[in-house]
Amino acid sequence: MEVTFVIIDDNKEIEEHPLLFTLEDKFKNVKFFSNPQEGLNFIKSNLEINLIVLLDIEFSKDDILDGHDLLKEIYSSSSLVPVILWSGINQANEEFSDFINNRAFGFLSKDCSIAEAMEIVDKAYLFLEKSIENSIEDWIIESPEDKDKPIYFSTEGDAYSLNDILSEVRNQTEIGKDFAQRLNALTIDLLLRGKEKL
Amino acid sequence: MSLKKEKSIKFNFDVSAYRLIGRELITDRITALFELVKNAYDANAENVTVEFIDINPLTPNSKIIIKDDGIGMQFSDIKNKWMVIGTSSKRRERLSPLPHKRKVAGKKGIGRFAVDKLGDKLVLKTQKKNSSDILCLETDWSYYSKLEDSQLKLNFEDDKPFFTDVENKYWYDIGENEKQGTTLEISQVNEIWTENDISRAFKELSKLVPPNSSISSKYPFNITIKSPYTEFDDIKVKTQLIDFATKKIELTFDKKNKIQEILQYKKGSLSKINVPVRPCGFLKLTLYYFDQPAKSKYKKHFNSEIDGIKIYRDGIITTPFAEYVADQNKQKDILGIDKRRWSGFFDRFGTRDLLGYVEITDENNPEIIESTNRQGFVENEAWEELRKFIIEQIVQLESYFKNVKKVERENTKSSLGAANQDLKTLKKEIASVKKEASPKVQAKLRSIEANLGKIQGSVTKSIKDYSKLEKESKQQENLFMSLVSLQTYAAMFSHMTKHTLGHILTGAEYFYNNYPNPKLEDRFISISKSIYKEMLKLRKGVDFMLKYAKSDTELEEINLKELILNLFDNIYYDRLNEQGIKTIVEIKDNLILNYNRKAIEDIFDNLISNSIKALKDNKEKIIKCSSLTSKNEVTILFSDNGIGIKEKDKHRIFDIFFTDTAEEGGAGMGLYMVKTRVEAMQGSIEVVDNEFKPTGATFNITLPFKK
Repeated sequence: MEVTFVIIDDNKEIEEHPLLFTLEDKFKNVKFFSNPQEGLNFIKSNLEINLIVLLDIEFSKDDILDGHDLLKEIYSSSSLVPVILWSGINQANEEFSDFINNRAFGFLSKDCSIAEAMEIVDKAYLFLEKSIENSIEDWIIESPEDKDKPIYFSTEGDAYSLNDILSEVRNQTEIGKDFAQRLNALTIDLLLRGKEKL
Repeated sequence: MSLKKEKSIKFNFDVSAYRLIGRELITDRITALFELVKNAYDANAENVTVEFIDINPLTPNSKIIIKDDGIGMQFSDIKNKWMVIGTSSKRRERLSPLPHKRKVAGKKGIGRFAVDKLGDKLVLKTQKKNSSDILCLETDWSYYSKLEDSQLKLNFEDDKPFFTDVENKYWYDIGENEKQGTTLEISQVNEIWTENDISRAFKELSKLVPPNSSISSKYPFNITIKSPYTEFDDIKVKTQLIDFATKKIELTFDKKNKIQEILQYKKGSLSKINVPVRPCGFLKLTLYYFDQPAKSKYKKHFNSEIDGIKIYRDGIITTPFAEYVADQNKQKDILGIDKRRWSGFFDRFGTRDLLGYVEITDENNPEIIESTNRQGFVENEAWEELRKFIIEQIVQLESYFKNVKKVERENTKSSLGAANQDLKTLKKEIASVKKEASPKVQAKLRSIEANLGKIQGSVTKSIKDYSKLEKESKQQENLFMSLVSLQTYAAMFSHMTKHTLGHILTGAEYFYNNYPNPKLEDRFISISKSIYKEMLKLRKGVDFMLKYAKSDTELEEINLKELILNLFDNIYYDRLNEQGIKTIVEIKDNLILNYNRKAIEDIFDNLISNSIKALKDNKEKIIKCSSLTSKNEVTILFSDNGIGIKEKDKHRIFDIFFTDTAEEGGAGMGLYMVKTRVEAMQGSIEVVDNEFKPTGATFNITLPFKK
């Protein structure tokens, strides 16, 4: 699975941070943004690909958005992107509200080691791998002939192929979210009625 | 009179789970009582009686009966609430039912399980209004614990009844139609209640109700204790009279004219002045201050602690204060009184010196809202203002007593001086009389003269000792000052170290993981460069820190420009850079001050931190430091273009004053320290017209100067 790391931190020195180097060595695609707004724009226009975000919390006061706002914005545009907070300030103050309200994926202190950081990063990777949209993608890669088959019909009567659905889910559109929810319900229903065995 | 049918009902949880939780949350008998009485309040009771029967010594008839006239429970309440652990209905509905609409005081949903702290057997009798049925439920906790014990002895494989399988008997009695309420009849009482225990219960329960029963509430809440002890045979719980206080302050308001009373200390006296109502709404504050002797008298007489300021709303304590805390050290200081650090020093008062009540009402203070977890208040402007209000009054009181002490000191000093003078005059007079006196009288006078000499000696010594003591306490104060500034610095230092360490640590780790690898050559170079840079940063920080360890009294020649440039360009470089703050230094190259370096660094250290905070929300950020020298004075202007100082705050910013940056670690000490440092140098500091218009602040520091 290909994944792109987005690192948003107003401190430009972070671009040369050994953790970023390590991510690049291991996952290739690493994008660094010292301007939070640009980072946010990148995320919003690239929801089609797998993203993992490392986010600083305290930005310089010139920036209109701070880490909390950014996290909220990211979460509201997609709940599928794991966002790891990476900050020098005391974690206890941050954790709770953000973890609960905006589903931060994890918290890294600025003084943590690469090994400690990679533990959370790997978890985020696993989280993506296991998600619905990646299962769909895997399916398409394995059976390309299914790609354009219509599999889902909206109440308006529009038909969606597997490929369309993948894009809808990643972009977290109403159709996409609805589909994911129904898919889960369907699976449970099938399991309960003994129609299918996992 | 029992209706014939007796049925049973089961608890809807595993009792051993409850025991685990209950033992954590309700640790003693007083807490248990406290929780049960709060339940009565939440049930709209207006009267609750706690009756102790045969509790010293214990007999088979020993009982504790808690009886209220609240709304009572019906069977569904018992089934769905009473028998379920941690029922959160009170969390969902924060108000008790109409018409009382009380802010519910209980919260954990386990108050009722407090019962087994008091006795093993409970008969609950409850009646709703307009119903003649009294629902009765019997629970025998001793049976549960027997079961618990026996289960521990069983093998895991053995079949064993769950706790939830235990049946609790219930039945209906016939009552009177107009009555309502709940009675908890606890028997098989566990422990003896001595008179002292009852007195403690009385004191703790008294904290639930406001001290000034003068405010008549539409729906009163009365607690009565009945016991075999004469002093507590039938006594309404009310706050004990507060006595022995060194000073009592009462502040009130005038709703018609929208006026709030506040305290003002001015020129040695404390007075009440009227100000427009604050955003927190009208407040009534009763505040008692106890000095050391008063405190010991109070403790000895009432056998209880002085435990700070509490907030009452409409006749009952607000929820953050409604928990009984056995250990005062664990009491949460939500008003932030003790947060103003070093409360023992600098004539500051803490929660152990103050007792007080703030009375608010739903009508006057709708914006003060208890937070849903009941551990504090919702952080909004009104709550912030309420806190500010309380702290401000304390600060005025502190200033007043600080002055009282100062006057006393001066009086002592001057009366010692006067005594010395009197002695001298006396000696002179004796000397003049001596010449004309008879030899016999002369001999007597000589001995008097000798004695006078001795007295004079000891008076002179006292004066010397006194000055020495004064000097010592001044030195001590200086020491505390540097500790406080060290604390501010330590916060900044650890922030910096965190980043730096992270960089170095991960850099080294990267090397360790990947070296050698020709493909990564560029990275190794960039990483080693950054490790080097970060190490330099760390070294500077440590150097600066080390200076604090140096002696406080050494004087040296200091180049002011270099000192300030060092602060701007090295010590504060990162923070200034991070925030995009531009600095301007206009000081002559050759301006040399002969003084203690740390003291001067402290001054500018604090001014810079202050400015950084003030510039937080600015777009363009400037800090400027300039100097002017005249024949015998040097004037230093220190300015920023930040939010500036409100006109109403100008006169008090140098006071040891509570800070509005407490969350960022501000202790409200900075400018006070600046002022004392400047004054120690025989200089002065004031706020003058801002150099940068329209916003900003300019401090004018004047120091004596010898060319």
